[in-house]
Amino acid sequence: MSVEKGTLEIKNLSKSFKVDNNLLPILNNINIKFPAGAFISIIGGSGCGKTTLLRIMLGLDTNYEGEALMDGERIEGPGSNRGIVFQDHRLLPWLTVEENVAFGLDKLNRKAKKLVVDEHIKLVGLSGFESAYPSQLSGGMAQRVAIARALANKPEILLLDEPLGSLDALTRIHMQKELERLWLLEKITMVMVTHDVDEAIYLSDKVVIMSSRPGVIKKIIDVPSSRPRDRASSEFMQIKAEILKEFHLGTEYPFAYAI
Amino acid sequence: MKKKLIIKQTKARLSSFIFPIVLLLVWQFISSAGYASSAVVPSPNKVLKTFQILLTEQTFFLNISASLKRVMIGFLIGSSTGFLFGLLMGLSRTAEKIFAPSFHTVRQVPMIGWIPLIVMWFGMTELPRILIISIAAFYPITLNTFDGVRSVPREYLELASVYGYNRFKLIRRIILPAALPSIITGLTLSLGMSWAILMAAEIFIQTEFGIGTQIQMGRQRFNMPLVITGILTVGLLGFVMTIIIEKFARIVDRGRAIGNET
Repeated sequence: MSVEKGTLEIKNLSKSFKVDNNLLPILNNINIKFPAGAFISIIGGSGCGKTTLLRIMLGLDTNYEGEALMDGERIEGPGSNRGIVFQDHRLLPWLTVEENVAFGLDKLNRKAKKLVVDEHIKLVGLSGFESAYPSQLSGGMAQRVAIARALANKPEILLLDEPLGSLDALTRIHMQKELERLWLLEKITMVMVTHDVDEAIYLSDKVVIMSSRPGVIKKIIDVPSSRPRDRASSEFMQIKAEILKEFHLGTEYPFAYAI
Repeated sequence: MKKKLIIKQTKARLSSFIFPIVLLLVWQFISSAGYASSAVVPSPNKVLKTFQILLTEQTFFLNISASLKRVMIGFLIGSSTGFLFGLLMGLSRTAEKIFAPSFHTVRQVPMIGWIPLIVMWFGMTELPRILIISIAAFYPITLNTFDGVRSVPREYLELASVYGYNRFKLIRRIILPAALPSIITGLTLSLGMSWAILMAAEIFIQTEFGIGTQIQMGRQRFNMPLVITGILTVGLLGFVMTIIIEKFARIVDRGRAIGNET
């Protein structure tokens, strides 16, 4: 069975942490398919295991039950077909912008490396900042560099762990447009973990709603609207209401906690 | 605007001279008011004259170059072995378990405490002097390298594993640069320790040339200006060394140095 490149599939995945000899379930029977080329957001309260799920997809965590398949093959560890952008830009402060973008490009020779680096710095709109250091960049610019670094490796799927979480509201809206532009341009799968409902609807083909303790997938909502999306349209509002409804009921058993 | 900035900078620079000038005035006052005999507290003028005379004498420069050479060799030996040792203990928990307790025990022995033992083993030669300085340089760099390696942010290590870095690449590209500020702090402290112990090495293990020798000679001849010029020379040279190492730190650690300026 051949799978289109850029497909990531999670099958019957469960994971628990051991705390004082008790097994604490983190993820419970997760089944989800990220089709090639799609933009999918995972949204959920804190502690719903979405970051753990992302780490499993990345290959940083291989201790779980069930299956995580990249292009039909079991994920055994990190690989260059999966890129990641963290919430903190995680640029190395002692490297310049271009050195940071070149971080994962050791396999290329000097010339090819320069080409790829320049291309991606241009792609995220930072030409002219090649030899700047991270400390000289704004939060939004630093996150652009982080995105360039991830894309430079030509991943089939880009995982985004609350990538805009630490930006101010206006920069955030701007960066959402940027992410959409990059996604349309690169035509790769993107999976984004976020807390922001508007952001999820604005960017995603599907929004995966997770609930907490243990993390389960509660609902997957399709966002059929055409792009670019209008945040003020009635369709947008309806989808937003639908998602928010899930969250109001989201703390399902409020009394269970009170007792 | 620019003029204001220049004035501000000049003021900042001038302010660092205020305290030395006050000290000088107090010194002048004590010596000219006759609170102490001029043999015990020579006037600043007398010391300055001694300095001028020393500058025309070859011995003075032989003393300085002997001391500098001693410190440099001792510092290089001590800091390079200390760096490697700290790196080893930082990278390997096993190495830490094996060596750390002994290291921390031996570290408690004050530098001066080593002198009798080392002299008995090696005699009154250049080797024990350099050895003492090396030991002094060894500790700070070991501790700081170890600490720097251990405090590399977990996030950076994770980033390296995402990009499939092997151990060698991890050390060279992540751990060493991340630990660099600590390592530089260690180097600065090591140099300071080497310089500080130099006097003890030269005074307790007598030698023909050295600033310590000059100070010791001044004491024996009851030549206070000679003692004081020796002390001032040690202080000034140490100060110059600190400035050099700070400049060096700024050059090798460009990214973060720039961040701190703005």
